[in-house]
Amino acid sequence: MRTTRSRVMTVTAGMASLALFVAACGSNDGGDSSSAAGEGGGESSDEAVTLTVATFNEFGYEDLVTEYMELNPNITVELRKAATSNEARDNLNTRLAAGSGLADVEAIEVDWLPELTQYEGVFVDLSDPELEGRWLDWKEAQATTEDGQLVGYGTDIGPEAVCYRSDLFEAAGLPTDRDEVAELLGSTWDDYFAVGEEFIASSDVAWFDSAGAIYQGMINQVDNAYEETDGTPIPLAENTVARGVYDDVMAASVGQGLSANLAQWSEDWTNAFQTDGFATMLCPAWMLGVIEGNAAGVEGWDIADTFPGGGGNWGGSFLTVPTQGENLEESQKLAAWLTAPEQQIKAFVAKGTFPSQVEALDDPELLELTREFFNDAPAGQIMATRAEAVEVVPFKGPNYFAIQQLVSDAINRVDVDGTDDADDSWAKAENAFDELGLS
Amino acid sequence: MSTTAAPREVSSPPPVPKVPAGGRTIRQRLNAFDMKVSPYLFISPFFILFLLVGLFPLAYTAYVSVHEWGLISGRQEYVGFDNYLNVLGQTNFAKATRNTFSIFLISSIPQVIAAIAIAAVLDQNIRARTFWRMGVLLPYVVAPVAVALIFSRLFADQSGMVNELLGLVGIDPIRWHAEVLPSHFAIATMVNFRWTGYNTLIFLAAMQAIPRDVYEAAIIDGAGRLRTFFSVTVPMLRPTLIFVIITATIGGLQIFDEPRMYDQLGQGGSDRQWLTLTMYLYELGWGPQKSFGQASAVAWILFLIIVVIGLVNFMITRRVATTGGKS
Amino acid sequence: MAIKTPPSIPVVEQTAGPRAARAAARRRGGNGYGAARRPRWVTYAILGTIVAISAYPIYYAVLLASSDAVTIAQNPVPGLLPQGNLFDNLGRVFAEVPFWQAFFNSLLVAVITSLSVVLFATLAGFSFSKLRFRGRGPLLVFVIATMAVPTQLGVVPLFILMAEFGWVGQLQAVIVPGLVTAFGVFWMTQYLEGALPYELVEAARVDGCSLLRTFWHVALPAARPAATMLALFTFVASWVNFFWPFIVLGPDNPTLPVALQLLQASFFKDMSLIMAGVVAATVPLIVLFFVAGRQLVSGIMQGAVKG
Repeated sequence: MRTTRSRVMTVTAGMASLALFVAACGSNDGGDSSSAAGEGGGESSDEAVTLTVATFNEFGYEDLVTEYMELNPNITVELRKAATSNEARDNLNTRLAAGSGLADVEAIEVDWLPELTQYEGVFVDLSDPELEGRWLDWKEAQATTEDGQLVGYGTDIGPEAVCYRSDLFEAAGLPTDRDEVAELLGSTWDDYFAVGEEFIASSDVAWFDSAGAIYQGMINQVDNAYEETDGTPIPLAENTVARGVYDDVMAASVGQGLSANLAQWSEDWTNAFQTDGFATMLCPAWMLGVIEGNAAGVEGWDIADTFPGGGGNWGGSFLTVPTQGENLEESQKLAAWLTAPEQQIKAFVAKGTFPSQVEALDDPELLELTREFFNDAPAGQIMATRAEAVEVVPFKGPNYFAIQQLVSDAINRVDVDGTDDADDSWAKAENAFDELGLS
Repeated sequence: MSTTAAPREVSSPPPVPKVPAGGRTIRQRLNAFDMKVSPYLFISPFFILFLLVGLFPLAYTAYVSVHEWGLISGRQEYVGFDNYLNVLGQTNFAKATRNTFSIFLISSIPQVIAAIAIAAVLDQNIRARTFWRMGVLLPYVVAPVAVALIFSRLFADQSGMVNELLGLVGIDPIRWHAEVLPSHFAIATMVNFRWTGYNTLIFLAAMQAIPRDVYEAAIIDGAGRLRTFFSVTVPMLRPTLIFVIITATIGGLQIFDEPRMYDQLGQGGSDRQWLTLTMYLYELGWGPQKSFGQASAVAWILFLIIVVIGLVNFMITRRVATTGGKS
Repeated sequence: MAIKTPPSIPVVEQTAGPRAARAAARRRGGNGYGAARRPRWVTYAILGTIVAISAYPIYYAVLLASSDAVTIAQNPVPGLLPQGNLFDNLGRVFAEVPFWQAFFNSLLVAVITSLSVVLFATLAGFSFSKLRFRGRGPLLVFVIATMAVPTQLGVVPLFILMAEFGWVGQLQAVIVPGLVTAFGVFWMTQYLEGALPYELVEAARVDGCSLLRTFWHVALPAARPAATMLALFTFVASWVNFFWPFIVLGPDNPTLPVALQLLQASFFKDMSLIMAGVVAATVPLIVLFFVAGRQLVSGIMQGAVKG
């Protein structure tokens, strides 16, 4: 009896140690490919190499990765996806702090790109004369550091149009044809809000989904929202521009009552798509997929080829190559391939991520793309036109993201939670800014 | 009592034997060596590991807290108590403290009362005892993260079941995710859901350990059931009460999982309505400020708070339970 | 003549009046009084309600998980019966998020930490309860004192340590800090104190066993009940642990609670998907609960008495 027991214990202990050993090796596969799989350094193109690509949300890379592996039989590419951009950002920060664990190719969103690229030597300089002129000027500029290093290859951009519910428009006596709607909505924010007032006079439905989204639309049209071009943050108390935009948004949302008082990406916001929560929303190209998902089964969505304020861009990402990795050359090649115009168009067809590559913008496949869900709107054409209409490329420095979050909180306090009025909420934001202790 | 040791009776190890006059054989030497050294060997894995990953970090936290220390930038200069002063002066710290205490009180007080009450119900000669006890314990095996997701949905502002049911009784929808106290109530409900059953069993065990002749005496004295409960049962639960309250304090003041998952942003609400101290710690260290120094300062402040409140609770419980639960 | 104040000496009894009759009935143990009386149906109704409340949220998760996003959005109160999309949604969960990996990770971590905690705690418990050595007293007090220390607050240096070792994002970072607990040592010490007679230890030593063999052949078997319970509790605690794995593991190597957070954070906020994830993450422990629930219950209750 006792012998059996001790045998059992020994076996268990042995299994436990084995399991620990396996875990140590196993987690290397998913995690630290830098120290694992590659037999040999991976510099020579004949050696078997495993590369990891980390993206977030939907980049549309699933099929592309398979294609790359077929083209390069010695390379295995693993795709890691974070659910949201925020999560990817947290993860990147943590891994940078840890000094290891990043993927070979990391996707970074433009809003928090400067936050990370402020640290020297963290990302590989991807400058390549062969790729000159591949991207829109302003896109490439966003990923170029002060000393001229290109730390990221552009993937997509987020040109914005206005998506609307034609059935709700009809019920309120407004035109429904997308060209007419584009004309009606005009090209200024005042026009957009004015139509909104007209709409809510004859409908129970709110005009737009979220004050926060409107704010994003407006602030992305400002040159230096929160920081001077040299990177110094502007104290919120002195930031008249941001305050001005904030006041305009508050006036429209609360004063005129146009907002549905929802926080984007919240549960209530997701549900509102199904319950006729709002009639219009600003939609960057990547939002189209989101709307399709949330509003499944709802008919009447369409896209108007206009944007208040002229043109706007929200978001957009880059592929970077962290210097932590072990297969830098191959990673760079992969990143370059993924961001080639042909590939980006395939991604656009798959997931709606609009290309930032100059050649792609003229591609007939892009221009002829329609989306059935949106009443067969020529989404490709519309977004291409919107992309060209972008005039201002806002400066985003290392503290942009943090300050933007403060203002976003302020807006939510008023618009969503209703716990403060506009002035008090801004005062709280000013306070929070001071407490951030930015240099 | 018989003088022969009954099989169950335990004796403690005998005193160390004296060295026999004729010296020792090698075997005896090895034996003695074994007896002297092995105990230390046996406890050393625990102590080594514990020191390494339990105590050392706690001490190191103090070291980090007096430096300016960035998440990515690493250790900077020594700043003395600046981090502490900085943190104590921030609005978010005040809110986090307020929230943590509020949630703690709203969860622990009803929880303890409910646990005692349910234990009293279970402390009868019921059929299918194990089934009822297991039923009560069921929520304990659901991860707090999962509980938070479920309850966050139940308490959703615009499309949650709770508001719907309240509407049936004519109450206006409550903004569970927008207002301070309702959010605390919702989070406290999650905590209570998970832990009430566990504490119930603890109280049940204590109740069952109360000798029956005490009850007999009370019955003979003519005391009714309720009177028996408050005058006899509750005072005898005092040590258990202390234990439960102390553990609830230590756990409750550190609460993270539930408030973090209460919405998908994880900030504690746009006005920090439900930001707790541990969430604040995480935000300082891994959020936009990326300041490990400040996060460590919060860690130590929280530790001190836990110790102080733990002691306070200990003293209150002793007083209250001695006077008989309800006067 | 009825005496107003109830007597406290059994000999002097009230002899008349309705209260006397009730008191007499109680003493007799009949008429539904006494320790052995079976409770009325009200008790069972109360218990039933409590168990229903305990179980409903889990059932609610199953209801939502077998529905779809649209229905959930439109109906705050779900129907009484599940709809039937459960397996579809479960399939999607496993496709969208690395749930299988998370499951395996959680299992690995929980098994290793349970075994390790039990082994080291029993070793230490054996020493503290049965062996005599210098410093025993103070060390034991030290262990008990550290039970109150919230180790969760050491996350910052622990993270720095893990970064130093290169373990960030790997399972070691979660396993190693969980290998021993002060509570485990306390638990085993208490139990062995009462359950392992020194005579057995002495007998083994007389037979010529070294202390290690004594531990292996005598102490471990004697500790089995408590060891089982400790293993169960450590398993559950490890499975549901969130704060530290959240900080140190990434989205590519999560444990189940971290994977649930990943689900929640996704853009689409598909409630049926999230609830399917909740169900998938909860089912293993529910299974464990049905298999070993009795031990869990008795573990808590025994621990309460000893504590």
